[in-house]
Amino acid sequence: MVITKTIKGAKGIITGAWSLLKGLFVTIKYFFGPTTTVQYPAQKLPMTERFRGLVDLHPEKCITCYQCVKICPTACLAVTHKEADKKKILETFRYNMELCCFCGLCQQVCPTNAIYMNKIYEISVYDRKKLYINLLNPERYSEWINPTVK
Amino acid sequence: MLTALTFIFMLTAAFAVLGFIAVSAMFLIWWERKVSAHIQSRFGPMRVGWHGVLQSIADAVKLLLKEDIRPARADKLIWWLAPFFAVVPSVMVFVAIPFGRTLVPRDLNIGILYIMAISSVCVIGVFMAGWGSNNKYSLLGGMRAGAQIISYELPLVLSIIAVVMRAGTPSMQKIVASQGSCWNIFHPDMMLVSVIYMISATAEVNRTPFDIPEAESELVAGFHTEYSGMKFAMFFVGEYTNLFIVAAIATTLFLGGWHGPILPPVVWFLIKTYALVFVWMWVRWTFPRVRVDQLMAFAWKVLTPAALVNLAIVGWLLLKR
Repeated sequence: MVITKTIKGAKGIITGAWSLLKGLFVTIKYFFGPTTTVQYPAQKLPMTERFRGLVDLHPEKCITCYQCVKICPTACLAVTHKEADKKKILETFRYNMELCCFCGLCQQVCPTNAIYMNKIYEISVYDRKKLYINLLNPERYSEWINPTVK
Repeated sequence: MLTALTFIFMLTAAFAVLGFIAVSAMFLIWWERKVSAHIQSRFGPMRVGWHGVLQSIADAVKLLLKEDIRPARADKLIWWLAPFFAVVPSVMVFVAIPFGRTLVPRDLNIGILYIMAISSVCVIGVFMAGWGSNNKYSLLGGMRAGAQIISYELPLVLSIIAVVMRAGTPSMQKIVASQGSCWNIFHPDMMLVSVIYMISATAEVNRTPFDIPEAESELVAGFHTEYSGMKFAMFFVGEYTNLFIVAAIATTLFLGGWHGPILPPVVWFLIKTYALVFVWMWVRWTFPRVRVDQLMAFAWKVLTPAALVNLAIVGWLLLKR
């Protein structure tokens, strides 16, 4: 009885010590291994393929079908057009980022893939007016693509 | 007779030790953060200075400028005195630590006994902090610290007695000198003792896996929950100085102190000590915290009997010699 108990105890000590050494081995492997984090403002990771950033537009592809305006749950898109020679010409395309819930429905519903979501994720601003974006302006996101680090 | 010259000499030594403690503590804090970061595949501090070496200095400046808040119903005197009790003993221990052949503030003939006696006072500081804060978390932390440090003092001292028996003297310099040919750790009867010393020293300096006095997830920060600013910094410096001290004692007792080829003795001593400190950091960032009952059972049922048996073996070998 005592002998089996002693053997059991000794076995426990040996397996326990071995498990501790195993743990130490794992951590030292990671200590000398590469780091997986990056130095954020200096070094940025590319966003994933299906990442939903800000709403963006290829104006030349747009056929002014108003599908995106209809499906938008928060009504953050405002589109107007004018007609010439029985053809619709896009006049304004405004995007209110303040309301946007980044659901991506506009991207899904667009028949010509004109409206899409880009990879910009550093989207905080100091002025509320900057959240009202004219998507026909070619320099609409130039400020956000390379934000200055302060 | 205290002449002016000896007074100046003593003052210089005291300031050298204090400067070393401050720099060493700051370096260890930075190093701990780097070691933990790399074990977790992170970078750790990178902004202040080369790879963040100056981060600790920035933090020290921040702590100096912070407001010193006292809880309204704290026990004023005890609360105020506690950080001093936590730091002063760790500084006093440096008197007997041999950095080199002649580089020791004073080689006391009872060296290791003095070190054990003085460093045990630290627990009073921790307990005072826990009691004086008038906070249930702090009180629990202080109680746990008292129970833990007193329990682990026993296997610690029993493991040190084996070394003292082998060297035949408690003087730190003579213990180092006795290891000139072969370090203590390579003697078969000393291997178990060194492992017991490492484990109990981890508990003595309240480090994970034995950090229950300040267990963040259950006691907020334990005994130093209510401290801020410079008083918190004093606890922190005391903690890292204690870490350096247990590593220095382990170097002296088991790793041959300042003995080593080519390089000067001081360098050897510091290399061995900081290597041991690294082992403690490595252990800290590997293992989870143990429960209070597991901790106490381990001290009384495993470490103390093992240390006693080993002590008997060392004594028998000494008699046979």
